[in-house]
Amino acid sequence: MRECTIKREEREQMDIVRLDGALDSYSFPRLESVLTELRENQRHRVVLDCKGLDYISSAALGALIGFARRAREQQGDMKLVKLSPKIYNIVELLGFHKILEIHSSVDEAVARFEAG
Amino acid sequence: MIAELNIGAFLASFLFIVLALFSVGLFFAIGVIRRLRHERDELIHQKEVIFGFIHDVADVFAHTEEIDLGRMLDRVLFYATRTTRAGAGAVYLYDKNDEAFRARAVSGIFPPLQGQVEGTLSKAVSKSQAIEQLVRAQRIARGEGLIGETADFGNPILIEDAERDPRVPQYELDFLHIRSILLVPMRFLQKILGVVVVVNPVDAHPFSATDLSLLQALADQASISIHYAGLRDTINEKQRMDHDLTVARQIQTALLPRAIPRLPGIELAAYNHPAQEVGGDYYDFIMIDDDHLGIAIADVSGKGIVGAIMMSISRSVLRAQASNNLSPAAVLKGVNRIMFEDIAEDMFVSMLYMVLNIHTHELAVARAGHERPAWCQASEDTFTIIDSRGIALGIADKDAFESTLSETRVTLRPGDVVVAYTDGVTEAMNAEREEWGVERFLEAVHAAAPDGANAVLNSTQQRMMRFVGGTEQYDDMTLLALRILT
Repeated sequence: MRECTIKREEREQMDIVRLDGALDSYSFPRLESVLTELRENQRHRVVLDCKGLDYISSAALGALIGFARRAREQQGDMKLVKLSPKIYNIVELLGFHKILEIHSSVDEAVARFEAG
Repeated sequence: MIAELNIGAFLASFLFIVLALFSVGLFFAIGVIRRLRHERDELIHQKEVIFGFIHDVADVFAHTEEIDLGRMLDRVLFYATRTTRAGAGAVYLYDKNDEAFRARAVSGIFPPLQGQVEGTLSKAVSKSQAIEQLVRAQRIARGEGLIGETADFGNPILIEDAERDPRVPQYELDFLHIRSILLVPMRFLQKILGVVVVVNPVDAHPFSATDLSLLQALADQASISIHYAGLRDTINEKQRMDHDLTVARQIQTALLPRAIPRLPGIELAAYNHPAQEVGGDYYDFIMIDDDHLGIAIADVSGKGIVGAIMMSISRSVLRAQASNNLSPAAVLKGVNRIMFEDIAEDMFVSMLYMVLNIHTHELAVARAGHERPAWCQASEDTFTIIDSRGIALGIADKDAFESTLSETRVTLRPGDVVVAYTDGVTEAMNAEREEWGVERFLEAVHAAAPDGANAVLNSTQQRMMRFVGGTEQYDDMTLLALRILT
């Protein structure tokens, strides 16, 4: 599996976080530190671009859910975009598609944020 | 007479020339002596600097037992500025997780090497403190600015006249002027660890090539210590994790059923293989009443001790809810109500809970985000995936969880086999990092189903082991199977 890179693009109203590679227990601390930094900087609106994501561990999914839940308390959210069929299956199996908003493109998720 | 005169004049001119030559010689000699004296002083000074430096280096790294990286970096910086007579300096370390450099030690008024400061400063009570905070907070990506350049190329940068160099930021505030700057990389075995930066020598001369050599020598020494400090952290962390692992295994082992129930007409089998990290799988058999057996399999999202404690909570809550309740959906709803309130926002448990009537062989299935069980029917040469809707426990509030959860009921016939598993089984990996996968797993189950529950477990284990070879697995693997005999 490829090591995961996490890139953050700060926009005026929200952050786009792009994942590339495998989010396993190795790269999980890196994701956690990015999410903590967002939270500490009061950046509660996040679009998570999963286009390059090959694998996600349950702990990493937990961190995403946790971020979304805390963000919602601050009128924010985390929206997932461009999930591969494999990643979607994992999300669907856990029933998380009922909790997390999933979109097919970054623009679509951005538009949802902008619509409030 | 003429001859005498001539001799007199000759002597006079001779004397004059000798005197003149002597004066010139004396003049030059004084010059040479002065220069030599100056050079000697310079050499003595350099010798002092170098001796001082060697002493400093020895002092910085004398405390090899020093665990505290921060204090070590402070000392490195203290000697770096002293050796180069710098007014200010900073040590930047590379953070692998963040893929960026951050200032880990700062001394003097060290001007930020990126971005603007004026806005921030106007509001600050203590300007020097505000500057230091700003420098420490800045995240410098690889390749960004002078620090990124020093790190990427691995070469030191000496800018004698920094005011004329476009790479150096210039601030209007006088105390932030950078007149001369020197940056050296810290590396260990080709790996970049950080950058040491010093600015503005206090004697108003620019930094020299000697300063560069000395600073690089100091940075090289520091690199070794930083590298080993990192290793030490890793080793300490590993020891702690090994201890956690032992405790987690003990908890997990204590929670799994000691024996599998023996029931007439039903064959039950279960298998749990804890992985390197202890992934938080568990299974349980609960006799609800004389006619009903509860069967649970679950996967907790956390690993190690946290996972083991979550597992323990889930098991107790499930056991409490399962008594006197024959509907697995109702039981899981009760479990979620308790777990949702009590567990951390980023933790969850996927659980499959089934209730089997041991006489009628009706099986009720509810699934809280867990892998769907496979049902091999003896009458047909195929298998069915028993599906039902549901969300993992501990994540969704009452409304979302309960409106999603459904329950499926099937009636099993003699010879039928039902297999439940955790993702550790299907996500088992070989050395090429390929997953065993759901399809291979179902194939193995299907092939062995006619031979019974234990055969299914043995056969799937064997096939999976053959696939992964000796590759160590990172997740627990849990399997359970039941077969109706008569």
